[in-house]
Amino acid sequence: MADPLENEAEEAVREDGARQRFILEDTGFDEVPKKYRRFYRKWAGPGDSLAPNEVICPVCKVVIRSTRELRPGDRVYCMPCMSRLVVVRTPAGTLEARVAY
Amino acid sequence: MIAPRNTHATPAEIHDLDPQAFLEEVQSFEFWFQAVEGYLSGLTYGHKPETADPPLAELDRDRLITVLCNYCVGETAALEGASGLIAIAPNRLAKVFLSTQAVDEGRHLEVLLHRMRDLGVADPDLEVERRASRSLLLFKRRLLELVASKDWEAAIFAQNVILEALEFAVFHSHAQTADPVTREVLLGIVKDERRHIGFGENELGRRLASAPHMRARIGQVKKELDHLVLDTLEETMQHIGLPRDEHDRLGRSYLESVERLGFV
Repeated sequence: MADPLENEAEEAVREDGARQRFILEDTGFDEVPKKYRRFYRKWAGPGDSLAPNEVICPVCKVVIRSTRELRPGDRVYCMPCMSRLVVVRTPAGTLEARVAY
Repeated sequence: MIAPRNTHATPAEIHDLDPQAFLEEVQSFEFWFQAVEGYLSGLTYGHKPETADPPLAELDRDRLITVLCNYCVGETAALEGASGLIAIAPNRLAKVFLSTQAVDEGRHLEVLLHRMRDLGVADPDLEVERRASRSLLLFKRRLLELVASKDWEAAIFAQNVILEALEFAVFHSHAQTADPVTREVLLGIVKDERRHIGFGENELGRRLASAPHMRARIGQVKKELDHLVLDTLEETMQHIGLPRDEHDRLGRSYLESVERLGFV
């Protein structure tokens, strides 16, 4: 059986166009050392939304941020809970992160 | 000659780190120290010294003490479990991480006992003995048996997946309705618990991926512990006074991590 994570990585390779870049600022997230804080923020609940460079960690529910727009197949790290994740596209068309053990 | 590494540089994009470099970083004592410094400095016994602590109604105070007693049982189980697991951890990174977890658990126990003293409990240790949930005590005994038998995978599953997921969900939910001091204490603990649940799920996930035959054994442990955990959860939610829909949400939240590992 094909590894779905590999298929998603291929999807990312096939996508064209430059990725949008983001300048990350510290949002007050205090659960990792200062030098990493800008890569994470708290999910503010109903009314909050994810930017194209953000996904929620399914393990600890923190918002993970990248300096570039995220696409399916991208690997991201959640430092607050020490998880390695891969970005996938859901059937609804949104991006979410899955744990890559 | 080996070139020196600049380990203090701010990374341009941490998601580009090599997976092993990531683990070396996040499971280090240095990472732990800088992380907890961010949210614990300035606190006294887990809360800001200036936070108002108005007296609670007698029934609310009594219920809170019972809940705190059970939290202390869970934290004691995790303290004894984490410290026991250091000896059988399969590698240096896991040993170092567990040493930080043992420190976290010791702190949790201390701040919870201190909160009970704030609430007027003269002998918190004795109160824990009097009020502790039977299900939780059985869970603790079984966890420590798994540690003593040197069953790394089963013990990590019981402690860092099941127990920590339970605490993470309950403490987070309780903090939303707790008095201001208890809320700060619980939210500080939740921040530590993120590391503990993540370590457990990722460590066990890697093990199961490389040795799928372990799945049946871990499944058996889950079956054995499930009713103890769910009884404890139900009992605690009643004491906290959470509405029924929150009971269901918490139950689902607890089950999410075990489901991600392939156990239903």
